Order: sequence, then structure tokens, then C-alpha cells
Amino acid sequence: MSSEQYQVPTGSGSQAPGGSRNFDAEPPTAMHYLCGDCATRVRLEKGQPIRCGSCGARVLYKERTKRMVQFEAR
Amino acid sequence: MTVLDDGFEALLEPFYNGKKLTDPISTKEDKYQLLPAFLKVKGLVKQHIDSYNYFINQEIKDIVKANRLIKSDQEESFWLEFTDIRVGKPTRNDYSDVVSRSEVNPMECRLRDMTYAADVVVDIVYIRDRHKIRHNNVLLCRIPVMLKSAKCCLSGASNSEMEVMNECPLDPGGYFIIGGTEKVILIQEQLSKNRVIVEADEKMGVHASVTSSTHERKSKTYVILKKERITLAHNILMEPIPIVIVFKALGGLTDCEIMELVAGGDARYQDDFLINFDEATKAGVYTQQQALEYVGQRVKMGGPRGRQFGSAPRRSHAEEGLDALANIIIAHVTIQGLEFYPKAIYIAMMVRRVLMASHNPKLVDDRDFVGNKRLELAGQLLSLLFEDLFKGFVSNLKMNMENFFKKPNRTSAYDPVGPIKGQGAFITQGLNRAIQSGNWTVKRFNMNRAGVTHVLSRLSYIAALGMMTRISSQFEKTRKVSGPRALQMSQWGMLCTSDTPEGEACGLVKNLALMTHITTDVGDEAVKEWIHGVDSGAEAIENFSGTEMHTAGAYIVHLNGTPFALTHSPKRFAARFRTLRRRGWLSPFASIHINSHFSAIHIATDEGRICRPYIIVQNGRSKLKPEHLRLLQLGKASFDDFLTHGIVEYLDVNEENDTLVALYEHDIVPATTHLEIEPFTILGAVAGLIPFPHHNQSPRNTYQCAMGKQAIGAIAYNQFNRIDTLLYTLVYPQRPMVITKTIQLVHYDKLPAGQNATVVVMSYSGYDIEDALVLNKASLDRGFGRCQVFRKYTAELQSYPNGRRDRMGGVAKDEDGLVIDKHAILDEDGMAMVGERVFSGNTMLKKETPVDKGTTGIGTDRGPDDFSDASLNYKIADAAYIDKVMISTNERDHPVIKVQTRQTRRPELGDKFSSRHGQKGVVGIIVDQEDMPFADSGLVPDIIMNPHGFPSRMTVGKLFECLTGKASIVHGRPEHGFGDAFRSHPVEEMGKVLVEHGFSWEGKDYFTSGITGEPLECYIYNGPIYYQRLKHMVQDKMHSRARGPRAILTRQPTEGRSRDGGLRLGEMERDCLIAYGASQLLLERLMYSSDVTQIDICQKCGLFGYKGYCQTCKSTREVTQMNMPYAAKLLVQELVSMNVGVRLELEDTFPHEK
Repeated sequence: MSSEQYQVPTGSGSQAPGGSRNFDAEPPTAMHYLCGDCATRVRLEKGQPIRCGSCGARVLYKERTKRMVQFEAR
Repeated sequence: MTVLDDGFEALLEPFYNGKKLTDPISTKEDKYQLLPAFLKVKGLVKQHIDSYNYFINQEIKDIVKANRLIKSDQEESFWLEFTDIRVGKPTRNDYSDVVSRSEVNPMECRLRDMTYAADVVVDIVYIRDRHKIRHNNVLLCRIPVMLKSAKCCLSGASNSEMEVMNECPLDPGGYFIIGGTEKVILIQEQLSKNRVIVEADEKMGVHASVTSSTHERKSKTYVILKKERITLAHNILMEPIPIVIVFKALGGLTDCEIMELVAGGDARYQDDFLINFDEATKAGVYTQQQALEYVGQRVKMGGPRGRQFGSAPRRSHAEEGLDALANIIIAHVTIQGLEFYPKAIYIAMMVRRVLMASHNPKLVDDRDFVGNKRLELAGQLLSLLFEDLFKGFVSNLKMNMENFFKKPNRTSAYDPVGPIKGQGAFITQGLNRAIQSGNWTVKRFNMNRAGVTHVLSRLSYIAALGMMTRISSQFEKTRKVSGPRALQMSQWGMLCTSDTPEGEACGLVKNLALMTHITTDVGDEAVKEWIHGVDSGAEAIENFSGTEMHTAGAYIVHLNGTPFALTHSPKRFAARFRTLRRRGWLSPFASIHINSHFSAIHIATDEGRICRPYIIVQNGRSKLKPEHLRLLQLGKASFDDFLTHGIVEYLDVNEENDTLVALYEHDIVPATTHLEIEPFTILGAVAGLIPFPHHNQSPRNTYQCAMGKQAIGAIAYNQFNRIDTLLYTLVYPQRPMVITKTIQLVHYDKLPAGQNATVVVMSYSGYDIEDALVLNKASLDRGFGRCQVFRKYTAELQSYPNGRRDRMGGVAKDEDGLVIDKHAILDEDGMAMVGERVFSGNTMLKKETPVDKGTTGIGTDRGPDDFSDASLNYKIADAAYIDKVMISTNERDHPVIKVQTRQTRRPELGDKFSSRHGQKGVVGIIVDQEDMPFADSGLVPDIIMNPHGFPSRMTVGKLFECLTGKASIVHGRPEHGFGDAFRSHPVEEMGKVLVEHGFSWEGKDYFTSGITGEPLECYIYNGPIYYQRLKHMVQDKMHSRARGPRAILTRQPTEGRSRDGGLRLGEMERDCLIAYGASQLLLERLMYSSDVTQIDICQKCGLFGYKGYCQTCKSTREVTQMNMPYAAKLLVQELVSMNVGVRLELEDTFPHEK
């Protein structure tokens, strides 16, 4: 990646800006998505490329909520 | 991938009206079956696709062939040649990917905001180290692919294959996908190129003009008759040149020959033309040399020729003149060697036409005649653009090459492959940008058109289809001339007579009729060969003198407008030509017609002509026989077979003038040459939805054409897979009870937009005045008119040059550790959860963007690491549900997130409905079912319509629809339900069916009042009428405001519903209040409720003070306060800032007595 080039060391900045840095202190959270092509559950961690592990499709959908949803019967 | 035949395919086959194979066939009844066969190969959107295919397969190769060689000026031995160009299949353009260059389908492009494009590769040959190097398949650029074109993966796909690709089998195709949006290149209407048009007007007198269009340039030449003298004018010439001087400059003609060429033996024309010789004498022009000098002196310097680095030596006037005449004036008549005779014949022809028009004013041309027009399609427009871009690419490549060869010490041999890829990117960008923005800029032709492309309207299936057949005209909308807007006789059968918008674009935007086809260029070589070789009666025009050309009985054969040959037997010539075409020796789209006024035969092979098929009639008998239709029914013959066997043929608008077309078989007389395939094809696809349109007042059909595009219904089979910005769908769409054949042909019955409502025509409750409808509440409960509204919200996570990126943030919590209300529906990944209800103000996507975007990130040049909130909130007052959340990456490899929300809406007061007869109305009242009138059978209407809608509108078709629909439901069979245009009157038969089932033949029934329980005093007309729900809904328009946001500059309330704006009290309302004298109300409306502000004013100097102190007078003594509109205060200050002093003089409203 172009941002991972040599960076001039500075006195104060211990942390280098750019994509290589981990923004989150907390451990990466994983979410599950559904593949648009093969409908398998895809586990994605934050920052991971968006892609189905089994078929390589790049369109993923979010799973339906686990919470209760009540519809107004109108 | 195995594809199963699920029997679905058969449903999409052209219908044969329930006919069994053993049923007898009559050509009279069944000839319309040619229409579905025609639509299989041509028509509707196929012209877009044909035109694009022609560009991809043919024109692109011609363009490259014309610009194939690049030679270096410095390195003599080096050259580069493009030997071939090919367009591949559409592919993905992702980088960093193994499977990246795999084929892509349109749905993925729509979802991922990509461009549906294919690689264009070239084969090149060039010199390196004195060796010829051949390099095949060098990537040149990427070109957007038209859906369903030859290169598209949808072409020839079966329905099950379409389903696998998530594509709708009924989708018309013919559009492009650029950056995820569907773009249509509208058909452009233009005056035909390379044809002479003679006109007469006050300013210029009688004049003939011709727009010459070649690959190099486009220019217009005029021959003008003014004050009895004829001159030739052109942009490159500073002043019009006497015509005889032009003829002399062309050389080789004596005065006598000039006269013969123009006037022939006709003394009237000779007398008129004679005076022009004096003009040449007066100018002292006797020889060709003098004439050329005369012309050369008047050629504008700095024209397209004079700009070549100044390196070319200055040419003499004679050379200048010769060049102008050879290459610029009437450029489409090419000059071989210095043989100017063809050009002289052409100019003489123009002069003769002018003379004829001056004698007989009827002989001027009509520029509104459809035969004088050409339609430009996507392929042609793209080829114009591509040619321009490719020429630019070649010159850039050459520049790159010269820069390389300029270096004194070269380290390696020149390799053009890299630069080709680099420069080719400009072609890709140019094409994409043009289609995206609709700005067509071709520098060579000084062409700068805006609004060529439009986003494909997906409001309904019909809206999308209607867009594909739309023709936009080049005329300015502001001009108040009726000519171009009026319905022209020659539009019959070619352009829809009903489908045009109302208002400013009325008559300028047109639509194709159902059977129209637009020609592509078929090449004139075959025709030329045939004229010379086969028919002995026609000889090349160059072999004749003027006298011979203009003798009685001699007909000049014009090929695409240019005199080409001479014949003395025009009828036989035309007949033989047609025979050849019917036998398939010539292209079916080559047309011929005889113009006896000008003793001319015109043959056309050019592109953009409008044509349509007819059945050939010979010796008073139709060529179409029952056995042909039987073959068609068995699927053993296609439309093209009929074409090659001389049963049907295409006629363009000009050739139609030479024919006698019988509308029905019984109309055939011995002189008849053709038979109409089906009369209802004079209407287009959108007007074809109207049942019984021939019983309606014509503007009502036009209104329906506009409203049919706004009707909510199903837009495509894949409507829930595609994520549209705004999608309206009807929950229970129904096929109309009364349909037309057009409906079946365009598959409107499979993607309908409306419901069959039981309508009674009566007055009810007074809430039905002014076209308002009364709706049955129970019908609404059962789902009548219920629709869903889907909306898309998109976010792209960008990355910035310093390496920072947008990110999805987490949920915010309050001090108790509970998730804040705003983020109630957010998941851990910062996106809304699917299925949740979203209220106004809720966050759907918690996007965060880095504060520091501008720094380089190198060394100390680094901003803060913070992120600011850039979340996407739901802003609409009415809640919705999250229907779908999609995550993917786009072409730039940035994550894209699309959220789709869903609302379900039942009709409410003020929602708009319309029948198919231009009868729109809003819901006036929703009545409980128990209060509705009911028939003795228990029938309760869905809609009550006020009978006052009928007398003034004269929509008899609606009454027929009601009656026909009623007959077909009581009978329980669909075959009565046809309301085709120009078919027989259905009333008697329908009445019979109704009586058979115990109903009144009139369609009127006994009804009981639901309120009083008394019988209604008269029988009520009732039956099913197809009602469309239109997209205009109260919920999207309702707006009120007490206090709210104000504009920053003026501090006045903002404008518009979307900004929670105020309601304007405009000038006319103000005038009313002034006239009435309500001055205090005015003051309140215009100042106190708007932008009142309190300011300090110094009474001494009249300038603004501040905090009770006047800066000018340096005192507080005479500073006072007053209220005034902030806009007025702003005006004063702006004037002051421009150095215009403004001083306010104050006086007391109620002066003190001194």
C-alpha cells in the first residue's frame, strides 16, 4: 500500500499516521453478514475486505435484527 | 450452470390470442400476428441496441482504420499502425484481485456503483530496431456497454439465465450503467445531412441550403436568390459570391454550359439566370484563374486550414480559393483529382431548385416533413464522441512519441504499449463523463449539446419503456413557432400521435410508434454497383451535359442527395430497384422514391431514417397468405424470412409518398401497392395502454400518456433486488380487465400498474366535486391502492491522500450507560439493524470522518487524530422500516454502504388516482362500507365517481372500458376484454353478454342508498375500471410551519418543504392586501413574521449606529432605535460597501406639537 512508505522519524510522534495504524484500542469486533450470491453467513472483522469467503462475491447484506419487531396491522 | 426449462419462457412468447394450431387462419383477422414477430427482431428499444451494435462492430473499426497510422516527424524509420480494434465482454475493473478481470453482470454494477463497461483492445504493429513488432490485444480503453447489446451478457440469455443474474427478463435494455446509475441516450432529432432544403423567408429570400457532413468537418452552404441575383454563401467566405463566378472557378465550363446546367432548355429559367452573368462581368471575372482569385480573396483567413504552425508557405489567393472549393464548400461531394464537374452539377442543382421555387412557391421544402429528418441514436452519438477522442488520443500519442525521440541519448527503443494505456485512459474518461453528464462536446464539429443523456426513470415499467422511445428535438423551446410542434401528416405510423408532454416541450418531444425502425447506415457500394452494372437505362451523370439532364423525361438519380446517374425510364428503374430489394440483393433499408416535380429519383442508404414495415400488395392481391401465418404460428418462420421472401418490406417516410397503402384487406383496389399490418401501430407503447383510445377526445389520450408514467405498480421482476434511490410499488397490482394487444406486446399485463376498481358513476356526499373520488374504506382495508415506498441512503467510506480513512463509529451511550435514543437501532458495526423501525432523527449509519484530511502526514505535518461525526440520519417525519442494508466496495475500492428503508402506505385523503383516460382525481372522502350504496346482488363499489367528469371531457372510451370490463367479468372469460384502437364497436355484443347473465344491457343496475336504505331514484352505471395510483401523495407534500429555520444572509424564513420553509406571501397576495388597505396585516406578514430587526440609527447623520453610539458623529445623543426588515438593512450596508452613501432621514409617526 502506498501509505506504508518510509516515514521520516520525528521526535514527538511515536504514532505514525496512516492506514497501518490501528485506530481502535478495543479488540476487533466481528460481525456476520449474508452473501448476496450464495447466501452463506460471512464473518467479517473490522477493516477486513468486504468479500464472501466461499464464493468471492463482493456484495454482502446485513442480517435481520434479533430484537423483536412489532408491526402495526393497518 | 444447468438451466431448467420451467415453462416460464413460453409465457413470454408472442401470443396468438389463444388460437390452437388447428384453427383456421384468415389473413384478414390474423395479419396482426406479424407485429409480435416484428417486435422480436426490431422496434421499440431494438433500434438503440442495433445502433450500438453497429457502432461496436463496424463504426469503431472504420474510425480506427481512418486514423490507423502514426509516423514520427523526427525518426523517419519509425511508424506505428493500429491493425484492428475489438470490444470485449464487460468485466470488473477492480485492482488487487485474482478474479478481478472476470465477467460482470449489470446487477452487480448497479449495486456496487460501478460502470458496466468492457475493455477495448487494439492490435498494433510498430518498428523497433528495424524490425516489425506485432503486438496484439493491447488494452486501449474501456467503453460503457449498452444492456442487451451484442456484448452484454444479457443478450440472448434465457429467462432462467436472467434470473440467475438477478435481471428482469422484461427489462427493455438499451441503456448504460455509469457509476451505478442507469443512463439513457435519448434519440435526437435533426434535419437531414447532405440534403438540399429549399426555403423562402423574408430575410434571405428564396434559398437552398445544404449541411455537408463528412468525417472531417460539418459546414453549411447556401445558394441565395436576392434581388434576382443568385449568390453562394458559406461560413468560410466573407461575403456571398455571385454564382457564375463560382461556376467559373470550378472550371471547364463555358457560359453556355453553365446556362444549360442550370436552366436546361427552359426559357423561363434561362431568362431568370441570365442576369447573373453580368455580375461576373461587372467583377471583371472571365477566366477560371480570375474566378479563383476572386474567391480566394474572400476566403476567411485563420480558418481551419490556416493554423498549421505557420510553417506552410503562404498560399496565393488562387490556391486558397481552389482549396476552399475543393474541400470546404459542399464538402460531401468529393473531388477526385481536379475533376470539379460533379460539384458543378450539385451547385447547379441547387441553383435550379432556387429558380424553380421562385417561379412556383409551392416547390419549397417543408423542414417539418419527417422525411427531411434524421434520428440520431446512441451508436451514432457515441461514434462521434469516440472519433473525436480517438483523434485526440492519436495526437497525444504522437506528442509522447516525439518527446521521446527528441532526447539526444536514448537508453532504450521506443515501446508504445505503455503510452497507449496511459493515453487511452482519456478515452475512457471522456466517454464516461459524456454519458454521465449528458454534455456532448465534439470540437471538430463545434458541437456542444447538453442534456443528451437522462437517468432512466424507474417510476414504473411504462415510464422506463417510454423513455427508451422518446425523441428529443434540437429546436429551442422558447421559440414561439407552431410548425415544429404541430402534428405532421408524415408522422403517421412513425411517431406516436398521442404521446407528447404538455407545456413547453409539447410537440418537440415525441415518441416512436410501435412498429417504427430507425435505419443504420447500409453502405452505398452495392447500390452504386447496381445502378452502373445491372440497369442499362441509367448512366453516370458525369457523362451528360446540362441540356441532356434537363430534357423532358430525363430523371436524375440522386444517391443520398447527390446527383449520381441519369435515366429516361424512372418507373422501370424504381420497379427494378424494388424487385432487387425484395429479393434480398440489396439491403431492405435502402429506399427509393420518385419526385416528379424535380424529375428526380432519390435513393437513400444513410442512417437515421425512420421506416416501418408494410405487407406488399401486387396485382390487387396481398402477398401474405394464410400458409405464411401458419409457418409463423408454428415458429418455423421469422419476420426476417418474410422480408427476404418479398412478403413484407420496410418503407421510409419518403418512399411512403410513392405508395397507396390499404388499411384493411377489403380496401385493396388495383392501384394498391401495400397493406397495413395493423392500424393500432400508429400509436406508441405508452398510448397503447389506453383501451378504446379512438373513442376518446384526443387530449385525454395525451394526458393519460403523461400519467401512465407516474402510475405506481411493479417496475420489474427484480424490483426488490435492485436498490433504487426511490421505488414505489403497488402491493397488489392487477392486470387490467380490458387490455389491448399493445399491452400484451409490451408485457404491461405482467408488470401492471393499477387495480380494477368497481366504479359506480353517481354523486355522493358533496365531497366528490371537481373530480374528487369517494373511496370505500373496506376496500382500503383489503388492500386497494396500498403501496410501498422504498428509499435508498448511501454512504461511501473514503480514504484521503494522507492515508486516513472514514470509519464506522460505535454506538454512543449516556451517563447511565444506556444507548442514546438517536442510536437506538444501530448495531455494533455502526449500521442500522434490518427490520427495525426508524423514526425521524434516528441515525442509520454512524459514519465518522477524520478531522485531518489536508495534511501530508509526513514528518511534523500532521493534524489531530480525531474523528468528526458524519452520520446519516433519517429525516422524514413518518417512520419507516429498515428493509435492507448492503455493504460492498466500489470501483475505487472504497466500502459503500446502502440502506434501504420501507414505508407502507394506504390511500388517504388527497392522494391522487387516475383511470386510463386522462381522468385524474384526488380522494375526497373515505366512506365506511356500510354507508356506500349497494346493488341488489350485494355489490358495493370501491370508488364512486362523479358523473360531471364525463360531459366536458368526452372520454367515451372510459364508458366502453366499464361496459366491456363488466361483460367480461360476468362472463368469467377474458376474451371480451380487448379494447384495441380502431377495432369494431363493442357495445352491442357486450350488451348481449350482460343480458345473458341477467344484467341490464346498458350496464346500469339498481342500487340502494347505504345511508337511508331507500332505493336510488335511477339505475346507476357501474362496472370495473382500471385505476392507477399516481405517485403524488399527500404524505410527501404535507407541510406547515410556525417558526423555523431562516436563511443566513437575509434572515428571512427558508424556502421549500425540505428545508422546513415558510409559506410565501407573494407579490400578488401583497397587492390584494394593499388594495384592501390592510396595512397592519401587511406590516406583520412582510416584516414582523419575517426578518424584523432592531437597529440603531443616528438621527443626525442618518447612518447606522451601534449599541446606542454613532461612530460617525462620535456621540450617543441623537441615536435612536427602530425596527426594519433585515433585508433592507442589508441593502443599505451593501450599498455603503460599494461606496454609495445611504442616509436615512427619520421623522416621528405622531409628531409632537412644537
